[in-house]
Amino acid sequence: MSAVEVAQVSKVFNLGTADQVDALVDIDLTVEQGEFVSLIGPSGCGKSTLLRLIADLIEPTSGTVLMNAKPAHQARLDQDYGMAFQQSGLFEWRNVQKNIELPLELKGWDKPTRRARSLEMLELVKLGQFAKHMPWQLSGGMQQRVAIARSLAANPPLLLMDEPFGALDEMTREHMQTELLRIRKETGTTIIFVTHSIPEAVYLSDRVVVMSPRPGRITAVVDVVLGSDRTEDTREDEQFYDRITEVREALRGAEMGSAPLGIEDR
Amino acid sequence: MSVSRRRVGSGTRSGGDGVVAKVLPPVIVGALFFGGWEAFVDWQHVREFILPKPSEIWKQLFDNFGLVRSASVVTGTNALVGLILGTILGALLAATANRYRAFGELLNPLTITIAAIPAVVIVSVLNNMYSVTTQTGRRVMVTLAVFFIVFVQVARGLRQNHPTQLELMRSYAASPREILRKVRIPNAVGYLFTGIRTAAPIAVIIALVSEYFGGTQDGLGQRIASNFSLSKTAFAFAYVVGGSIVGLLFFAGSNLLEYVAVPWRRRRYSR
Repeated sequence: MSAVEVAQVSKVFNLGTADQVDALVDIDLTVEQGEFVSLIGPSGCGKSTLLRLIADLIEPTSGTVLMNAKPAHQARLDQDYGMAFQQSGLFEWRNVQKNIELPLELKGWDKPTRRARSLEMLELVKLGQFAKHMPWQLSGGMQQRVAIARSLAANPPLLLMDEPFGALDEMTREHMQTELLRIRKETGTTIIFVTHSIPEAVYLSDRVVVMSPRPGRITAVVDVVLGSDRTEDTREDEQFYDRITEVREALRGAEMGSAPLGIEDR
Repeated sequence: MSVSRRRVGSGTRSGGDGVVAKVLPPVIVGALFFGGWEAFVDWQHVREFILPKPSEIWKQLFDNFGLVRSASVVTGTNALVGLILGTILGALLAATANRYRAFGELLNPLTITIAAIPAVVIVSVLNNMYSVTTQTGRRVMVTLAVFFIVFVQVARGLRQNHPTQLELMRSYAASPREILRKVRIPNAVGYLFTGIRTAAPIAVIIALVSEYFGGTQDGLGQRIASNFSLSKTAFAFAYVVGGSIVGLLFFAGSNLLEYVAVPWRRRRYSR
């Protein structure tokens, strides 16, 4: 049973009006249990839209989205996934620990269990001593780690991430990528990750799904065969550069000869 | 989002050796201002009933401290009563308008109309309605002014949440009731205290000004007006000083209240 199965999904915004946009056309995508899949493409290619369709934050115009063979809508009601965005979306009136406990509160967990779980999650993201801090007292990278801890608090089998490191500086970003791989290893979570950075996608993923805009569609899928033990050294590996080149060429192909727009080449 | 980039430790910037650097400039500016004023009046031989010297105002204030204080208490009490009532009314009606849309649509044009009418007109009407020997008209006037500010702020706080927070709540399959309790209301509480902070100095101004349109003779605004008209200018200025102190107290008090009650909003204004 696949973790996520997207079949023949299309999404049209403003259907039947002058502003009609074909955001996604005929998307097929299967993500296996435990897999790390990145969605990459220029602005407007529909990668965030696809992620939101999987999360049932918006509904497809046609086609189906299944999560563990369950319709996406039911999966959302059952909270079968965790989610992290470019903005941490922390609730500024709650301290770090209470932010992590919010999804557990909504699930009806009792207080001692919530406490124990949130502290466990804080240890996972190495922020154990910041439980009582308020969000505004933390740096951007720390806030994002709290957001990741929160998204994993209810122990979902699937994690959906929409450019979670997009607002961070390059150093913090690379550090967070390595942390994410470690967390993934410890928890065995399936991850779908939206990004517009080629090295980030290659470093993190088992597969990179390349998308193109107008209309949004999948143009290539690159298998990243770098093994499961990736470290900072992986970034200097020849294989790593080969995969980056492969993704870059796939993106160029998608743009039909013109230079890809909105893609970070760093 | 403005909240997401704050760094650890940036709140301690103003501590330690910064105190002298912070206090000194306003002290120097103040000394130059009052010294220059004093010197200018001496040099130009300005008549006292046109512009009194700071030293003369200080003497009047010192000699009549009891009078200035009791007038300040009257005006300050009016402002405070109006501030409290206006805040309660504004918060309650904003919450009701948010709960019952039809009520909100009914209320909106009314609040805007009230805000658009010049205060002077309403004071005259209120003084006519309530006896001119009570403070009621003035307090109602302050209440109305505060109400409008708090109403707008709380209504905004209930509606405007960060999009990411709302998407998260949707991903948690939270019910509208849960979103209200865990996101909209806490957010609105932050806006409420911002509203109080904005309204507090205005409450003092309205309380003062509303005394210019008749009624009892015991408040600051009334004393300022009558002493100016009697050419007891230095004495009038002593009451102006009283008004400044009341205003400063309201300003400082409401800022402190916001600082203590909704600490997460400190950063929005401290940078």
